[in-house]
Amino acid sequence: MIAGGWITLFSPLVGAAVITLAGTRIGRRTAGYIATASTMIAFVAAVVAFVAALGKSPDARSQLSTAYTWIQAGSYQSGFSILIDQLSLLMMLIVTGVGSLIIAYSLGYMEGEDEERRYFAYMALFVFSMLLLVEGGNLILLLAGWGMVGLSSYLLIGFYHRRASAVAAAKKAFVMNAVGDATMAIAFFLLIKYTGSLSFSALGQVPAGNRWVVNIVALGLLGGAVAKSAQLPLHTWLPDAMEGPTPVSALIHAATMVTAGVYLIVRCNVAFQAAPHVENLAAVLGTVTLLMAGLIALVQVDIKRVIAYSTMSQIGYMFLGAGVGAYADAIFHLMMHAFFKACLFLAAGLLIHALGGEQDIRKMGGLRKLMPFTYLAFLAGGLALAGIPPFSGFFSKDPIIASALARGGWFGYLLWAAGLAGALLTGIYTFRLIFRVFLGEPSAFVREHLHTEHGEGPISMRWTVGVLAVLATVAGFLQFPPFWEPVSKWLEPVAPPLVVPTNAQEIGTLLIGVTMGATGILIAWLIYGSHRFRAPAASEVLEEKFFFDDLYDAAFYRPAVWLAAMLRRAFEEPVVQGSIVEVATGTRDAARWTARLQTGLVRTYVFAIAASLAVLLVVFVAVR
Amino acid sequence: MGNAIIWIVWVVAAFSCLGSGIAVVSFSNPFYSALALIGNLASLAVLYLLLSAEFVAAAQVLVYAGAVMVMFLFVIAYLGGRADAPWASGPSVQSVAAVGAAAALLVEVIVVIGLAAGGSLSSAAKVPSSFGSPAEIGQAFLTDHLLAFEITSVVLLVAAVGGVILGHHARSGTSWGSETR
Amino acid sequence: MSGPGIAWYLALSAFLFATGMLGVLLRRSPLIVLLSLELMLNGANLALISFARHAGNLDGQVFALAVMAVAAAEVVVGLGLIVAMARKKLTLDVDKLSILRG
Repeated sequence: MIAGGWITLFSPLVGAAVITLAGTRIGRRTAGYIATASTMIAFVAAVVAFVAALGKSPDARSQLSTAYTWIQAGSYQSGFSILIDQLSLLMMLIVTGVGSLIIAYSLGYMEGEDEERRYFAYMALFVFSMLLLVEGGNLILLLAGWGMVGLSSYLLIGFYHRRASAVAAAKKAFVMNAVGDATMAIAFFLLIKYTGSLSFSALGQVPAGNRWVVNIVALGLLGGAVAKSAQLPLHTWLPDAMEGPTPVSALIHAATMVTAGVYLIVRCNVAFQAAPHVENLAAVLGTVTLLMAGLIALVQVDIKRVIAYSTMSQIGYMFLGAGVGAYADAIFHLMMHAFFKACLFLAAGLLIHALGGEQDIRKMGGLRKLMPFTYLAFLAGGLALAGIPPFSGFFSKDPIIASALARGGWFGYLLWAAGLAGALLTGIYTFRLIFRVFLGEPSAFVREHLHTEHGEGPISMRWTVGVLAVLATVAGFLQFPPFWEPVSKWLEPVAPPLVVPTNAQEIGTLLIGVTMGATGILIAWLIYGSHRFRAPAASEVLEEKFFFDDLYDAAFYRPAVWLAAMLRRAFEEPVVQGSIVEVATGTRDAARWTARLQTGLVRTYVFAIAASLAVLLVVFVAVR
Repeated sequence: MGNAIIWIVWVVAAFSCLGSGIAVVSFSNPFYSALALIGNLASLAVLYLLLSAEFVAAAQVLVYAGAVMVMFLFVIAYLGGRADAPWASGPSVQSVAAVGAAAALLVEVIVVIGLAAGGSLSSAAKVPSSFGSPAEIGQAFLTDHLLAFEITSVVLLVAAVGGVILGHHARSGTSWGSETR
Repeated sequence: MSGPGIAWYLALSAFLFATGMLGVLLRRSPLIVLLSLELMLNGANLALISFARHAGNLDGQVFALAVMAVAAAEVVVGLGLIVAMARKKLTLDVDKLSILRG
């Protein structure tokens, strides 16, 4: 089991290193094959580790393996260790499984790109970083993985580095993540101060009397999670991150990196349980985000942005679940979401690829007959997203909402109602997308630009989408609360749930949830499918994404720019630059003045000797 | 009687020394300056004799006046008209300062001599009659000052080589530098 | 020692030296400068010989002989330079020869 863990961790790193060091000596396809192979090896190793863990008793499933002492600073010490337990095994399977499928998809999608090798190296690096994050045996290694996935995200969003918008989006993502990293750092500083270590157990060792410290630690961790998972208020980077290639959006910004925040909360649940206010805050942020993102998704016209906002919304569900203490439900939804969201993104990639790079849904229409495979994949993902049985989302989304109900109190009811409202919105925006793109008659643009001579896409793209569509359809049967819950039982030793809904609450929420989703689909049908009603005019608030971008621009960006310009004018140029220039001109002037001694005339030199002789004579005589 | 003769000889030699020295510096024709210098050297030789430095006096006349000055005269003859050079134009800051420096130097040395005249400069040592004879000089050169002797010969060699190089007539098409190409 | 004391010889040598220095500083023809330089050297020689006599030590005379030899060598090189300059048709004027001016 441990060996599997180490192999899983380092296989993608080896792949990335090989591609980087080989440079242009290997072909572009070869780089792709290396990346795919290294992640598939990681997946196999993860499966082996998982099977080995299945064979053990539940107490023996959590193992910490340390390679060597990594940091030693005074009394603080931490080793390079990996923790293989129930939670990390599930995450490893998802990351390597979905990751290897998406990298295989990239073989077809990125074909012909000039810098393909760089892409595959970055993708392998990302998989390694994410694995480090989930396998890290202590908080320092988790932070290392955290930072590296941020880096990989920056590198991959800005992959098309000649496009100014891509570069700006990459910077935005990185800076916002840095805010989260800062709050996490503060949490870690406090942990070291009050417990002396950054192992996972240290999270529970902060003396309970220190209310402030406990809350700030949890708040710091939440800050990092919020930034990484693009929840309110650090969410504005995710839609812009769609500037990266579609497989990047699928892997990093749907299936894995953005879910790291949820993983963090579940992993550090001890810290959150000690600070119930922060846990409530997490639930609130998740809920507000899921509603807000759902509303914005209703008016987006870029296909990738619709899916991005739906990702934001679904992660809101996961935060809601983790915030009320339904950790296993949140992780299960994370897994299902990885499948159907990756399926949607990759199918969207098939569309974009066939239409020569077009992403505006207003130009699309009537693709149902022209791209049937893609249509089916979209349906599978979309129905899963909307929570319609027997697709996977149905099994994972509603238990979270039911847990909110089980939490009780007016707070629980409020969250429950919001979750159900979100289900309605999800149905509407998802099928708005599907009906706009696929139903009706082929639009003029489609007739001109669609090229499906060789089928809907390269074979590598199609089989991976197919696998994900199948998973989106059937994977849900893994867990069906309240009837069978193997996943919850599996995770119980690591993250026991704080609330357990009764059967009545569970089934009731299920029924209402499905109704909401179906109603959403119906509304979408009426407006976009059969055109019975006209869509209401989109309000400016929605179109401007609730003005968050403008708010941050005015509150942070403009003052920073002003401060920088002022410092430059007042300090940098006169003082720093001025002093340097002064030194230079001063030296030059001194040199020029001294050079006047070199007259080139013998007479002056002799005179100098004579004069100094006269002076020295006096000195000698006087000294005597 | 002997003392008076020595004094008279000294005064004559000293004044001719001074006079020819000033003449060297003042004549505009370098030929005359060179001749004045020869006179100066001769007076100095007389003064050396008074100071029991017979060998040095002989060397002065033979080497200095006989060889070095002859060389000077050869060059002046070769240069012919180009050798004529005027005085530096008028009193400028430089010339005033130069006079000042020289005067200062002179005054200082005289002062020092005056200061020491009563003390350490009062009594001269008694020397044997062989003092300054060629035998003594030779003995000194070959025992105490052998290194100086040898190095002086090296200096002379270098000067000879330098003289040859400097005086080398560049034949048409060849010069020292072109042979290395 | 009969005759003038050592101080007189030293004073004379100082005069010679100063006169020579004036010549070096004030004359423009390199030939005259060299001649003045010889004058200075001779003044120094006189001082050396005087002190040798005063101290009864032959070292001064030995030094003076060495000075004479070196002066001869220096004159060779100096005159060689002047001849070379004349051959290159340069003006024999120390004020004009200032290419090394910095």
